[in-house]
Amino acid sequence: MLLLRLALRNLLRQKRRNLMLGSAMAIGVAILVTAGSFSAGVSDIMFNKIMRFITGHVAVRFNERGGVMREIFRDRGRILAAVQGDPLIEEWYESVAMFARAIGNGKSDNIILVGMDASKGEATRADWEASFRLVEGDWASLVDGTLENPAVFSQEKARSLNVKMGDVVRVRFRDMFGQDQAARLTVAGIMRNDNIFMQPVVFLELERCKRVLGYRPHETASLSLQLKDARRDAAAVAARLHARLAPGTAVIPASAGGRPVRLYGYRSDPGSREKLLASLRLKAGSQERALRRDGVLVPEGLAAALRLSPGGKLKVSWPRKFGEGPAEASLTVSAVYAGGPPGAPVLLNDRLFYGLYYPDLPAVPSDPDPPAGWAALLSPEWTLLERTFTTEDYKKKYQEIARDKHRGTTVDVSTMYETASDILKLEHVLNVITLSAVLILFFIILLGVVNTLRMTIRERTREIGTARAIGMQRRDVRDLFLLETLLLTVFSSAAGVLAGFGAMALISAPVFHPKDNPLGMLLVDGRVYFLPTFAGIAASVLLIIAIALATAWFPARRAAAMSPAQALRHYG
Amino acid sequence: MNIIEIKDLRKDYPLGATIVPALRGVDLAVEEGEFMSVIGPSGSGKTTLLNIIGCIDHATAGSVKIAGSEITALDDRAVTDIRLHRIGFIFQTFNLIPVLDVLENIEFPLLLMKRPAAEARRRAEKLAEEVGLSSYVRHRPAELSGGQRQRVAIARALVTAPAIVLADEPTANLDSVTGASILELMREMNAVEKTTFVFSTHDAGVLRYARRIVRIKDGLIEKEPVAA
Ligand SMILES: Nc1ncnc2c1ncn2[C@@H]1O[C@H](COP(=O)(O)OP(=O)(O)OP(=O)(O)O)[C@@H](O)[C@H]1O
Ligand SMILES: [Mg+2]
Repeated sequence: MLLLRLALRNLLRQKRRNLMLGSAMAIGVAILVTAGSFSAGVSDIMFNKIMRFITGHVAVRFNERGGVMREIFRDRGRILAAVQGDPLIEEWYESVAMFARAIGNGKSDNIILVGMDASKGEATRADWEASFRLVEGDWASLVDGTLENPAVFSQEKARSLNVKMGDVVRVRFRDMFGQDQAARLTVAGIMRNDNIFMQPVVFLELERCKRVLGYRPHETASLSLQLKDARRDAAAVAARLHARLAPGTAVIPASAGGRPVRLYGYRSDPGSREKLLASLRLKAGSQERALRRDGVLVPEGLAAALRLSPGGKLKVSWPRKFGEGPAEASLTVSAVYAGGPPGAPVLLNDRLFYGLYYPDLPAVPSDPDPPAGWAALLSPEWTLLERTFTTEDYKKKYQEIARDKHRGTTVDVSTMYETASDILKLEHVLNVITLSAVLILFFIILLGVVNTLRMTIRERTREIGTARAIGMQRRDVRDLFLLETLLLTVFSSAAGVLAGFGAMALISAPVFHPKDNPLGMLLVDGRVYFLPTFAGIAASVLLIIAIALATAWFPARRAAAMSPAQALRHYG
Repeated sequence: MNIIEIKDLRKDYPLGATIVPALRGVDLAVEEGEFMSVIGPSGSGKTTLLNIIGCIDHATAGSVKIAGSEITALDDRAVTDIRLHRIGFIFQTFNLIPVLDVLENIEFPLLLMKRPAAEARRRAEKLAEEVGLSSYVRHRPAELSGGQRQRVAIARALVTAPAIVLADEPTANLDSVTGASILELMREMNAVEKTTFVFSTHDAGVLRYARRIVRIKDGLIEKEPVAA
């Protein structure tokens, strides 16, 4: 109490000097708070606004049979089972999107059709509505059954297509199988957004969008996950998901001529092929034919029962997992084998096998396990790609897909760190800028505090001597100077925080209308966006206080260590 | 009983490469309740002697006992504690804390002793009255005359009821009339509170207030005449 009273009064005593130092500190805090809030704002935009709609924090992508365009996975439920119930995942979205050419009233333009999941909860809905504000129409009309494919267009696209509410827009696109398709959309809403990334986006309700694009309800295109704490958890969630998505062996439990028979794909890469040939004996037909892309190897017993020889037809049918009735296929026998895997399955070249397997996924048999020891030679349900951690490796992975390397559907789990590292680099740059500001401040405060304290201590030497002679302990003298510094810093920080908020209000006052400037994505409603966080501000203030106290420590201790007799004799 | 007992006290000041011997073997005993003056010319070692008795400076050699306990071997913490509890200081230049008012200056040592604030305040008010400053309690030192400041210093020195009050030329910065009143006040306090007073002076005029006079010259105490 005594020290506090002394410290406060001493601060007031050197008004001008302390005001100068205090202002420097306040400006420092204001800069830190502003820079920190700007950084936090940019991260927030990147992580929670842009990232979420571009890739998600974690994404699961599929390319059927390794086709670059064939973004389709046939068993949506299987994938969702791996995602649901993970406490770190806040929300998952099926992302379905397709580039298309839109033809409006005498004008055409490129758009991106995007499915928007209307089945998600109220909160998500509210979030959408806040992110994409409609100037005409309302989101509810996206599920209006009386309209033909109701869709929400951006103001820019509505203008460039010369359409207004209720107009029909025809779209043409190439679907995931490479087929040209066409559809009609009804303009049911027009949205305003300043984020240039979102301008070509046309929203349809997810289920309708999938139908328009040719997906069946049990199929999906890709999955985006939104995490509660993306930065902390993205890698862990991706790793976990990756582990959960390990594939089993693909099997078609078919019947041929009334007999149950299992169809497996065999891996057609040279290594696996060699091993396969080494572990069975060909009874009829050539090795060369057996290994061709349409190779069908029939076991001896089945061949005898159905009187099959190479060139003959094997008719098979199997129950489908989705849809009514059995699926059927007619296979041309390439070879007859003896030995081989237990259970004497029909072995198909994986290209042929996946061509049957994916379009009509078979019902899962009661005992889906592959013959013991054979899993490594038989085709898996899908090909789980290795996790990659850099953009470089990620690109390489997709170049391999483009080179048609994979037979099965590739499943890839990625995080924003690989897929959007360029955008994330921006955050890095901002952090460096903030850090430089901190360093400069550090030196200003260091010099200011040391100098001010030195002067003060010299001026008050006799006073220190008096207090010590009267009975003040060294520790109290040191604490008095530290306390004065602390108080000055706390008051300055408070002023600095206020000034920082003032600065932010000032900077975010003007509204910008960036058209094609990519920096436009850093604006929210056309304004510079700040996200002051309590933790960030507290950290800035604590940092300044820590720096000030650390610098004050040495002069304060020197003042305390003075001999009282010497101090009392001091002149000046 | 001797409240102060000094034997063969030496004090050398280092000054560049040489040393200045300020005290060269001082023997002195002061009884409890004495009102004693140390007189000597400028540079004779008065301040040095008082500083060592007051525990704000170290002896180079010799023994100093305050109230029976040897202080020359104590660490800073213990010595500071002795200053706080047993000794009061009055300085030639008053040395009040400029940011504190009269009452706050007087109660300052009590607060250092962690006495309750209300009690400290009551005692400070009483002392302010005794030194005749009741109507100035809210003044800061800068708003007081020299004599008034020294009265505050006396009150501050006495507020803890110390065993010894040391006053280093308390009247040197005051005119003779004010100086006389200050010495009167000190003598009164000595009589009322039974506090031992040791004050230094180089002014023979103040000697008539002293009951015992010790003469110091060139760091040595001269033979004492019989007390007045
Ligand atoms: N810090 C110091 N360093 C060097 N010499 C010192 C120091 N302090 C005092 N002296 C010397 O010690 C001697 C005694 O000094 P001291 O201050 O005790 O004298 P004094 O009797 O109080 O004189 P005055 O009447 O002028 O106050 C003097 O010669 C002085 O020069
Ligand atoms: Mg002196």
